[in-house]
Amino acid sequence: MADKQYTAVERIKLASDGLRGSLAASLKDELTGAIREDDQALIKFHGMYQQDDRDRREERSEKKLEWLYSFMIRLRLPGGFMTGEQWLGMHHVAGEHATEVIKITTRQTIQLHGILKSHIKPTLRSFDTLKLDSIAACGDVNRNVTCSAHPMESPIHQQVFEYADKISQMALPKTRSYYEIWLDKEPLLNKEEEIDPLYQDRYLPRKFKISIAIPPNNDVDVFSNDVALIAIIENNELKGFNIAAGGGLGTTHGSATTYPRLATVLGFCDTEEKVLKAVYEIITIQRDHGDRTDRKQARLKYTIDRMGVENFRKELELRCGFQLEAALPFEFTERIDHFGWNMGANGKWHYTAFVETGRVTDDKRASFKTAFFEIAATGKANFRFTANQNIIVSDVEEADRSLIHEILERYGVVGVTEQSSEMRKNAIACVAFNTCPLALAEAQRYLPSLVTKIEPILAKHGVLDDAISIRMTGCPNGCGRPTLAEIGLIGTGYGKYNMHLGGDRNGLRLNRKYKDNLEEPEILAELDGLVGSYSREQESGESFGDFIIRKNIV
Amino acid sequence: MIPETKLNILQELINTSSKEEIIWINGYLNGLVSGHGTPATAKSSQPVKKISILYGTETGNSKKLALQFTTVSKQHALNARCTAVEQYRHEDLVKEGYLFIVISTQGEGEPPEAAKKFHDFLHTTETRLENLKYSILALGDSSYPLFCKTGEDVDAQLQRLGATRVLPMQKCDVDYEQPAEDWFKSVINLLGAGQQALQPVADVPALSNGAARKHTKKNIEGVITRSVNLNDKDSTRRTWHIEIRADEELDYEVGDSIAIVPTNRHEVVERIIELGKADAGEQVTLAKSAGTIRELLTDKLNICYLLGSAVKKYAVLAGHDIPDIRMDLVDLLRIYPLKDGTPFSEVLNILHPIAPRLYSVSSSPKMEPREVHITVSLNGFLKQDEQHYGLCSSFLGDLAVDTVITFYVHRNRSFKLPDPDKDIIMVGPGTGIAPFRGFLQERDVEAAPGRNWLFFGERNFTSDFFYQTEIQQYHETGVLQKVNVAFSRDTEKKVYVQHRMKEHGKDLFNWLEKGAVLYVAGSKVPMSQEVEETLLGIIAEHGGKSETGAKEFLEQMKKEGRYQKDVY
Ligand code: SRM
Ligand SMILES: Cc1cc2nc3c(=O)[nH]c(=O)nc-3n(C[C@H](O)[C@H](O)[C@H](O)COP(=O)(O)OP(=O)(O)OC[C@H]3O[C@@H](n4cnc5c(N)ncnc54)[C@H](O)[C@@H]3O)c2cc1C
Ligand SMILES: Cc1cc2nc3c(=O)[nH]c(=O)nc-3n(C[C@H](O)[C@H](O)[C@H](O)COP(=O)(O)O)c2cc1C
Ligand code: SF4
Repeated sequence: MADKQYTAVERIKLASDGLRGSLAASLKDELTGAIREDDQALIKFHGMYQQDDRDRREERSEKKLEWLYSFMIRLRLPGGFMTGEQWLGMHHVAGEHATEVIKITTRQTIQLHGILKSHIKPTLRSFDTLKLDSIAACGDVNRNVTCSAHPMESPIHQQVFEYADKISQMALPKTRSYYEIWLDKEPLLNKEEEIDPLYQDRYLPRKFKISIAIPPNNDVDVFSNDVALIAIIENNELKGFNIAAGGGLGTTHGSATTYPRLATVLGFCDTEEKVLKAVYEIITIQRDHGDRTDRKQARLKYTIDRMGVENFRKELELRCGFQLEAALPFEFTERIDHFGWNMGANGKWHYTAFVETGRVTDDKRASFKTAFFEIAATGKANFRFTANQNIIVSDVEEADRSLIHEILERYGVVGVTEQSSEMRKNAIACVAFNTCPLALAEAQRYLPSLVTKIEPILAKHGVLDDAISIRMTGCPNGCGRPTLAEIGLIGTGYGKYNMHLGGDRNGLRLNRKYKDNLEEPEILAELDGLVGSYSREQESGESFGDFIIRKNIV
Repeated sequence: MIPETKLNILQELINTSSKEEIIWINGYLNGLVSGHGTPATAKSSQPVKKISILYGTETGNSKKLALQFTTVSKQHALNARCTAVEQYRHEDLVKEGYLFIVISTQGEGEPPEAAKKFHDFLHTTETRLENLKYSILALGDSSYPLFCKTGEDVDAQLQRLGATRVLPMQKCDVDYEQPAEDWFKSVINLLGAGQQALQPVADVPALSNGAARKHTKKNIEGVITRSVNLNDKDSTRRTWHIEIRADEELDYEVGDSIAIVPTNRHEVVERIIELGKADAGEQVTLAKSAGTIRELLTDKLNICYLLGSAVKKYAVLAGHDIPDIRMDLVDLLRIYPLKDGTPFSEVLNILHPIAPRLYSVSSSPKMEPREVHITVSLNGFLKQDEQHYGLCSSFLGDLAVDTVITFYVHRNRSFKLPDPDKDIIMVGPGTGIAPFRGFLQERDVEAAPGRNWLFFGERNFTSDFFYQTEIQQYHETGVLQKVNVAFSRDTEKKVYVQHRMKEHGKDLFNWLEKGAVLYVAGSKVPMSQEVEETLLGIIAEHGGKSETGAKEFLEQMKKEGRYQKDVY
């Protein structure tokens, strides 16, 4: 019997009665801050993860207290857009129910951590009144759809941005459980029947991610997604999208059968109808052909490699009922956030602020949280989040610009944004400790101080202005997309990292492992040597990553 | 070997007798067999004297003695009626001929909870009691400043009301068996019932019978093997779980407490020595203790928050007029200095001994016979808006692992587990959880079939859930059928255990009707009172009873020992 080898998670999904499981009962249990084991798999579909403060485990056990369980909530925020009002609301929710810190993720949304079980419902209720939700922000469904963040990228940014929302809506699970369990009420916005032609009762074998990029900027790292849409624009008109599939970065240490993979371009679609249909059917193929017996082989990237790209394309066209046109040429020449003020195609102004590792909080360097709160309170700006964990204060009228700037200035945001080195501004670190249960090593709590030690090395070799991309994660799951960095540091154990080198600067080439289990002194020594030779032997315009490849260093 | 009919009678007798009564009967029969002649009860010819026996008890000792005394009296052809003071109709006093009172002292020289009304009545009434003949058996503990104070009070009032003391009051320390026995004998002899068959009294079996654990104030030395603050770091409280290990098997039962005498803080003692211009090394011998001044001030004498009586004596000694309040000795010496040349030993003479503090045992000897655990919460209070901490709780909290401490067991006969098959409901917020941890350990090791239901409450779920992981395990393994918790500071509207009880009122009453025993432990005021009000409400609502109906129901539970408290 086939489903014999189905993973436990598969059985839980099937038996979950529309992702309800025993969540209601789990919430009522007075004795623990945790929820039942099966429900821990289900709650992800509702945008939450059960976690515990890993720094406190031993001490609490000694005190005969259970681990300090809490929940992380991730918002569904297609294209990473939020109104000023919504930010105000978030600000209060973060203070009342979470750890104060608002965490901007590498997929353009925000996470709140440390929410106690008893605070989940109030939190989600507040979200609901703000017209925000966390449905399918996690779990084996389509996740938050990302989209090139900056309105200045193109006059048709808005058009493309709307696709993110449409796709997100299209791929939402139909179950009403979210509203029943967390909001004790019927849906706000009109919901159709619960039967789910897309996900049926088994959902997907694994998480599923979709992203849209507007060339020439690949700020979203579009090829790391299960489905990558590349906007094709000709003389300021959106012609359609090249459709790529099979991206994914997660691997497991010491398992050769897991590997990072960039999405393969399959072809081009012009009309919205066709684009949505193609995306929809890629999901159904993965639903039907994805491996449900081994979660480490379940992502679309493995499904495609098992089927072969050609067969996959055929199956897709069969399901779509139309042929994909040949992919149109496109070029990515950058993968960056344009910090500071920029005028958008819509004539409004946007300030991109550098938020190190995406943690919006008040610290000694700058009061980000207060600054954004005051800006939101003026009612004169919206907020956009970038896939590099930064914030864009957007849609500011010319007339209000000085007012907004004054606030940014007053709380030190401008200072941090302007004075941080290029490397620091382009660095990414995942969350890792103390909340991520999968973390083997530190990342967001450590990378900033490591960069501080690397900067003098760059300065010494005269390349401090070189925006060499460095990314660190606490494990090989790749949440900070380290395999798409020029320097990738991937945690293997506490204080130990594998060093990956040779990625390109625009997210088109994966890096390769250079050395294993390096500790800080070795990391610094290696970089000193490598950057040294790079600054001496670099060809004009050559990036560090390209240099590494040319020299066959990896 | 004996005919069915007799056997039935015997069985009947046994089934309807309490553990103590059976022990007595057993001893009594021993007495018979060992040839002390037929007991008086057989002789009907004697003119029967009618006597009333009253007892006022907190932890059951006085009751036990009163019952024993009653049996002994009956056995001597005395028509003895034994009543608990709280059941006694005050207006009956005038009608009494002979009245014998067994009463203990609690708090700081206060009567037992149940005896308060009677105590107050005696102090306020003007009804003359010329015809009343009485004697008092006063229970106490000489380690407390006011030894047998309640007995003295009652005696004084009866004198005031003109009653006749037919026998001097007998004061008993914690090892009360012998003096009580002597008092029994004196009474029996006094009433002329003694003529026949004195012998059985001579060894009133229950009192000397091994099976009845003798009540001795035996100081035990134990070493602290573990001490953890159960509250998490961000908590507003500090509560220590302390494990003490002795090299002997400990003689205690779940529901008992251990008494610990703290030592005074070094720096305070030194300050006193300085202010009193005392010679710290000088040897002094006092009524109850001897040692150098420093030793006495450190280990023996209470220097904190002196009783009013002590302050008065100091005022006289120092020749100041001092308001009638309680004060620390340091403050007295500082604000009202001694006359020059007053020998410091005179100050020592007015000081009371350091009172022992009780801590409910939070372990079962059936788990680890050599260990006893306690759960100590740091007692905090404000003095001139300044945060201060209680002497013993901070003393215990500061003790490091491997420190040796001395304690003695304080039995609580009125806070005991029922038969294993009986259901129990435990209401124990805060340190009230302590005795119930012992109960649960015991019911677990004995695989008791009775159901267990726990109500616990504290301030915050994440930081103050005492013994959370243990409670979870008892719940998962089916030792605890039901657990309900209330954390007052987690919600805008404060919720306490009594609110949870109300929520589950229907079920709770159901358990009570099925014979469950309900226990309340922890703070007396206001917790235990609010719990009791709630309980009455539940009985009224779900038992369809009037207010008085509910009261009677609870009274009945008390009588049957199905409503027990360990509150402080
Ligand atoms: C918050 C975030 C990192 C950040 O600092 O921003 C993140 C955080 C976590 N990721 Fe991730 N992932 C995040 C982007 C990514 C990315 C990057 C991307 O999507 O652009 C990847 C690599 C791309 C990919 O999916 O292959 C990524 C690949 C993973 C994986 C590996 C998946 C795989 O196919 O092997 C896991 C583990 C798993 O799914 O089993 C994971 C699991 C996790 C969990 C939920 C750990 C867990 O499963 O319990 C982390 C929660 C940590 C915490 O305490 O917040 N996360 N995760 C990012 C949230 C994105 C979002 O808003 O949805
Ligand atoms: C049967 C029984 C069981 C008990 N079980 C437990 C238990 O399991 N766990 C537990 O933690 N406790 C228990 N207790 C309470 C415990 O015995 C002590 O009463 C408690 O620890 C406080 O003692 P302390 O020496 O720390 O405080 P103390 O020094 O005795 O002070 C107690 C109070 O006296 C007043 N006070 C003292 N000094 C001053 C001063 N200088 N000025 C003004 N006011 C002052 C304050 O109000 C203070 O709160 C129990 C008590 C009883 C009777
Ligand atoms: C909290 C507490 C306070 C006490 N205070 C006194 C006291 O002030 N004076 C005294 O002589 N005995 C005091 N005792 C000792 C008791 O009177 C003694 O243990 C007696 O045996 C209890 O008898 P009972 O079980 O009938 O209440 C106190 C006991 C407790 C538990
Ligand atoms: S990369 Fe690993 S450590 Fe970092 S957030 Fe993702 S799962 Fe956690």
